Order: sequence, then structure tokens, then C-alpha cells
Amino acid sequence: MKDLKHLLYFENLLLEANNELVAQAKKDNKVCVAFTCESVPEPLLNLEGTFSVRLRAPRTGSMEMSTYYMTSFLCEYTRALLERALEGGFNFADCVISPDGCSMMNRCVENMELLKTMNKDKDKFFYEFMEIPMKCDENGLNLYILQCRNHILKPLSETFGIDTSEKALRKAVEEHNRICELIRAIGDFRKEENPRITGYEFHILTLATYVAPHYLLIDKLEETLEELKTREPDAVNPYRVRVVLTGSEIDDMDYVKLVESCGAYVCADRFCLGSLPGRVPIELNDDDDILTQVCRHYITHSQCPRYMNMPKMTGRRDYINELAKEYNADGIIYEQVKFCDPWAYEKMVGGRVLEDDYNYPVLTVDRPYSIDSGAGQMRTRVQAFVESIEIKKLQRGGING
Amino acid sequence: MAKKIGSEALGRFYKEGSKVRTRREWRGVKDTAYDFSRWLVIMGTLGKFIIKPRNMKAMLRYRWMANYLAVPMMVDRHTQGLRGEYLRMCHAEQDLIIDDVAKLLDKLFKGDRRIGNDEEFSKKVVLVDENEMTAVMMGFPMLETLSRETPSTYVPVLLNQHSMEYYMDIAEEFGLAPDVCPMPEAEAGVSINDDAPVLGACAIQCNTTCDGSLLGNGVISKRLELEDGIPVFQLAAPLRHREDDVQEYAAQEIRNAIAFIEKHTGAKWDWDAYFECAKRVNLATRCRQEWLDMNKTDYPQVFGSNLALYTETNYMAICGRVPAFAKVDRKLTKLAEKAYKKKKMMAKEYRHRAIIWGVQSHYYFDFLLWLLNCWGIVPLTDMLSMVSTKEIAEVDTPENREQAYYDMAWLTENMIMRNRTHGGYKVLLDELWDFVEEFNADMVILWEHMSCKALDGMHGMFEDRAREKGINLVWVEHDLFDPRIISRQGVRDQINNYMRTVMREEPIDPSLEVLPDDQSW
Repeated sequence: MKDLKHLLYFENLLLEANNELVAQAKKDNKVCVAFTCESVPEPLLNLEGTFSVRLRAPRTGSMEMSTYYMTSFLCEYTRALLERALEGGFNFADCVISPDGCSMMNRCVENMELLKTMNKDKDKFFYEFMEIPMKCDENGLNLYILQCRNHILKPLSETFGIDTSEKALRKAVEEHNRICELIRAIGDFRKEENPRITGYEFHILTLATYVAPHYLLIDKLEETLEELKTREPDAVNPYRVRVVLTGSEIDDMDYVKLVESCGAYVCADRFCLGSLPGRVPIELNDDDDILTQVCRHYITHSQCPRYMNMPKMTGRRDYINELAKEYNADGIIYEQVKFCDPWAYEKMVGGRVLEDDYNYPVLTVDRPYSIDSGAGQMRTRVQAFVESIEIKKLQRGGING
Repeated sequence: MAKKIGSEALGRFYKEGSKVRTRREWRGVKDTAYDFSRWLVIMGTLGKFIIKPRNMKAMLRYRWMANYLAVPMMVDRHTQGLRGEYLRMCHAEQDLIIDDVAKLLDKLFKGDRRIGNDEEFSKKVVLVDENEMTAVMMGFPMLETLSRETPSTYVPVLLNQHSMEYYMDIAEEFGLAPDVCPMPEAEAGVSINDDAPVLGACAIQCNTTCDGSLLGNGVISKRLELEDGIPVFQLAAPLRHREDDVQEYAAQEIRNAIAFIEKHTGAKWDWDAYFECAKRVNLATRCRQEWLDMNKTDYPQVFGSNLALYTETNYMAICGRVPAFAKVDRKLTKLAEKAYKKKKMMAKEYRHRAIIWGVQSHYYFDFLLWLLNCWGIVPLTDMLSMVSTKEIAEVDTPENREQAYYDMAWLTENMIMRNRTHGGYKVLLDELWDFVEEFNADMVILWEHMSCKALDGMHGMFEDRAREKGINLVWVEHDLFDPRIISRQGVRDQINNYMRTVMREEPIDPSLEVLPDDQSW
């Protein structure tokens, strides 16, 4: 296929946390709200005068300092973030809003605060920690609303004078939805039998929407969507099988690329920093206030394994089944960042359920934060998985065995 | 001669490769007779338990039941070197705990579909987590509050250090990453292996101490609800439990849990019973506070495993629901006051005053006593004993009935371990140093449970603070339930090395420095 016109541009954006669009937004006098988890509703961080950046640490190398502070037993994502913060790599941020989601992320941001990594010489800098509900019910929703009000809207308004009115929130949601609609429209091309976009390309586009100001991205995303409408796929589909990739956060540009290089087309991205469900538009009505609607959307759509009630637990596996059907997947890859407790359990149970109850071939793997350090092993696992699916297809004469 | 504290070399009782010690300790006529009489009482408790055919059937059905043969040995480990009041304190609490666990097992097997299969009894049973505060059951005296994980997972490791290895391996073979905390891992392994009693009208799970515990519950509830047909309520206690803006949510969770129990059991919440329990919770709090106050002086009395093991049971699993524990609270206080007045000491020499912080090794719970006997390090208190000191409403008034939901929520949020591993760094990091000052400690022994992410995540800050304050900080790594990773001697060596190389001291009882207890119960 012909290269996407802006792919290199998007790839370059992802090489640094402090990318050129972040720098441009800062020049525009916008407040940068850094966040670390999908449980912090993004539209509330992208108000008039603010923009959000989901923290990540591209091109991570040594993590010696953060390993001293958090030991080698914590997940590499959190250690990489702390290391980058200690190096000054997140100094562009004006505040950090973090949920007490998993213990490791919580400790990571607490260390950032204790070590004064980002707030040197910044009078207005603040860290906020949110309590996030663990169940999708009315009580959880009420908590979520209160937490968003107390730990996002109030500090942004009081510290930086940001307009958090109903009108401002509605506008933010509409802009957020525009990004989501673009990403979803682009992602829909992955349903094609011989898709005109690779999983890697889609991952790059999606990832960029988490780490760069939305208002500076829209033009290029629109242009890319237009370009895709007429893009011709290769005559022969280079992929041998189609997989849903699911699990803990993936912000490593190379991971999806590696999976696809083994012949497995990533047709659906159900992981944190992916588009499913992270880029599902928020449907607004005129009855409830916007904050309630945003919180309801997040609590309902979240697929994070920390949601502990039974409908959410079974729902996570049902959702993957639905995606596999919708995107015509042959198999499921469950991945977790090494030392991630929530996904260690979800991977085990989900992997078994998808395999035993839904009859999908499933590969479960743990991986380093940066796949560079474990590429050989991962390649072997994925190649073997692809072959096993092919063999099953041959033996049973069809998709899904 | 052996009547005197520290007169026997305690390390001589261990024998390479043996599960039991070579002989009982000689403590002088009076204490030896007392100790032996309590040993007989324990044997009587075990005898009464096993004589029932259904319990014998359970012994053959459940792999973990074999560990209960080691009960007397566990008590012996916790009484090493003890004399007088300290020996009596240890027996008062341990004998009660043994009795309580025996009753728990008996009830579990009575209702267990595979063993006793008493359906009427089973309809009255509400299952709870092992690490869960049972506050939400304080107003249900007509129901049985039973934990399956306590006897199948938690207690066996106290009895036999190797007891959970099998179940951890099961979970890992099933696909669980081996770097998670071994406690929920073992619980999940028991469930995966279908090795837990099946009974109950419903179950209440709670996001207790950590992410692993929360997620491990998912494995258990999948079997309970989807396979065994026992409905499960997940009680979500807020993590940032010191914040005002989470308390209403927490209280509502309690209301919802009570409504769930009422719905599935047909029982009605009993306020009289609740406030009776509340009085006993407050009594336990006052007693514990008095013991801790004594421990701030030169003559600490209730400390080490006498404090840790009892607090874990009484505060969390009992939570005012069993009157016998109130009696023991008073007895322990009386014994402590008596010893305090006489300025008695538990060991012949106190060299260092230590706060024990972090999550202690479960397969080496008597380590605290070893610290004292071997090196003269007094474990003044431990993280798991530093729980809520707030007294709850105990008089039945309309206002207090509303307050009660917040009190139950507060207790649930502040269950053992969880009140420190959750709630931000202030409760884990900052308050440690406040306690160091309050207790006039010169040493902090910091358990580094390798798979406890909440603790590990503050490793560097602990180091930095200790350095700033000039406190001796000793790290002791372990893997909670798995002595294959770091053995008991591996735990001891970390202290031995520190004491010899940094403190340049010699042990008080050199026979304890290296013990051949790898195979020991």
C-alpha cells in the first residue's frame, strides 16, 4: 500500500512526550493537564484554555532511579513514567490528575509528588488523586461525579480560572466526540477482508489523540480519513490471521508492528490507549447535566479489570467476543505489562473464558513496557500462535475453527 | 534454672529435616505445668473436632485440612522462651483463636454440600472474605458469618510454612502470572482446584488490601456465583479512605450490602445486636490502645506475635461479634497491667526498640519472637496492629443508627493492612515516622513483601526518610506465603547480617542465629 501522507508526522509526534503540538499549545497559553489513566474522563481535561496529555515515556532506556524508588517489582510502565519525570521529561505539565486506580500507578504519581519532579518553580502546579468507583451502579456514578467535580473541575477553575460551566463542558464533549468519530471512522476500515489500513497505522493515529492537543490534530485526522477512502490495499492480503489485541496499556509504537510482522493483523484494539472503548463517542442528551453524562459514559464503557462487580466482569469477556465477531477475528491475544496485577488476573480468567466458553484460539503473554527488550521471545510466541490458528483453520476448514 | 527467662538455648530444639521440635521447653515447674495443661486443652479441642464423622470426611476431602495436625506446634513456636504473664497472654489468645477456627471449620463442613450438606443451616450462612472486616455482619446475629479462605488458605500457612505451595502452583499452571501476591494467588488456586467448601445463602466480597486481592475475588466469585449458584455482593470500599468525599459512597455500599444480605437470607438487621457488638469493638479498641501506650514506655507488655496475631483475628474477623474475645481482651489487659507494675520483661535483655512495618511474612509469623530472643530487638508494634483507634457509636439512638453506616464503612475501609496499603503515602510513609517518635524507637524493620506493589512502590522514600531521621532501617525481604523464594533462614540472615555488620553486635542467644527449620512446620 502507498504510505499514508501524514503517518511520519504522527510517528514523530509519538517520539517525545513533549512533542511539537504540546509545545505549540503551550505557546498558545493553554494549561497542560497531565493524566495517567483512562479512568480520568478526558473531555473534562480539554476545556477552553486547557489540553490533556496522557503521560507515556517513549524510547525508555534505563530505569535505575525509578527502580530505586519503586523496586523492580512494579510494572515497567509506572517505573518508566517516574524515570521520565525525574529526568525532567514531563516539565511541560501544569498539573497532574491521577486516579487511585491501580496501586502501582498511584505510587508512581505519589513519588512524582514527593520528589517534586514537575512542580519546581511552578506556583500553581497541583497533583490531584481521584477515587474511582469499582462498580458500575448508581452509588458508583454519584461518587464519580463528586470526584470529577472535586478533583478536576474545581482545581482547574480555582487555580487556573478555567470555565467549567455546563456550556463549556458541552463544547468539550462535542470536540472530544469529533476526535472519536474520526478515529472510529478510520478504524472501521479494519473490518474489511483486505483492509486498507494496518493495525500499526491505526495504533499510531489513535495514540496521537491521547498525547497531543485535540484541536491541533483534527485537520490531519480528517485529511487522513479522506485519504483512506480512496486508498488501495495491496492486491494480496499480507496477513495470515486476524486478531483482537486486548489487555493492559500499550503505548509502545513497536508492539502492534511486531505482532503484525508475524502475520497477525490487529483488527481490533481493546486495550488502554486503544480505540475500543477509549474512542467511543459520548452520546449527549438534554435531560441530564453534562458531567453526569460524561461520568455515566465512562463508568459504563470502561473495560478496566478493576471494576469488580459480576456484570462488569462477565461483560469484559462478552465485549471481546462481540469485537471478535464484529471485526471478524480468528483469535485473541491477551497481553499484560509484566507485574501488572489487574491484568494478570483478567488475562488468566478472560483467556480461559474466551477459549473454553467462546471457542477462540487465545494467546496470553506478558510483555515489557518497551518491546525492544523482549522482541525475540514475543515474536516466537506470536508466530507460533499464528501457525496454530492456521493449522486449526486447515483442519476444520473455516474461520474460528 | 530453666525458670529464668533466657536460660535455655532455644535453637537446640530444632533438628535438620524434622517437622517437629526435639522436645518441649522446660520453663520451671509452674510454667511448664501451665503450658502442658494448655497443650492438653488444645489437644482436647482438636479431639472434639475430629471425632465428628463429617469432619473426618472433610479431612480426607480437602488437602489443606492435613495442616491442622500442626496446631500444637504452631502454639509452641509462639511461646518460645515465654514465662509468667507473657506465656499466659499467648495461651489466652491462641487457645481462643484455635477454638474459634475449630468452630468455623465445623460449621463450614456442616453446611458444605460435599460433606454435611445441612441445607437449612446453609441457608443461614453468609460467606465473607478472609481479609474482610466483618462489620457488615454485626447486626445479623441470627446468621452465620463464615470465611472459607481463613481456614483453607490463611491459617494453614501459619501452621505449615509449605502448605500453600501446591495451590499457588495450581493458579500458575492455570495461567496466572507468578509475580502476583501469593495470598490471593493461593486463594484463587484453592478455588480453581475446587477445594473450598460449597455452602451459603450468599457471599460478601470486598476489595480488601490490594489489586491482587480485588482481582483474586473475581476468580472466586466466578465459581461461587456462576457455577455454585451462590449470589455474591462485591462491597467496594474506597481506597482513599481518609478523604471526606468518599465517606458517603462507603456508607451507601454498607447499606447496599445489608439490603443484599436481607434479600438473600430473609433475615432482618438487628440494631440491638449491632450496638452490643459496637460496645465490644470499642472495648477492644480501648484495650489495644492501652497495650500500645504501655509499649511506648520502657516496659512494653503486649507486643510481638502476642499483639499481631490477636489483633488480626479480633479486630477484623471477629469485629465485636463474639463475646469470648471481649473476655480475653480484659484478661490480656489485666495480665499486662500486672506485669507492667512489676516492670517485667519478656526477654532477658532489651537492646533495641523497633517498629515493624510492612506486610509480615506469613510463613514466619513467629519471627517477631525470634527478633526478641535472638537479638534483643523489641518489636513494639507492627503495621498490621496499627489500625483504627476511633470509637464508634454504641448507644442506640436514631442519629446513631445513621452514624452506624458510616462507622461500619470506616471499619471496612480501615481493615488490617488495607488501612496502610491504601489511602495514599501519608498513612504508609508519613505516619510510620510519627510512630517511631511516639514509641521512642531506634530501629525500623521493614518487611519487603516482594509482591506487595503498594509497599514496594514506596521503597526509596522509606530509605530517604530513614536516612534523614537517622533511624536504623533494616529491610527484610520475603514472599509472604512462599518460603521457596526466601526461606525462613533467608529472612533471619537479613537481620543477622545487619546486626553483625552494621550494628556490630553479637546475638543474645547464638543458638537461634541459624536454625535448620526449612522442613519444619
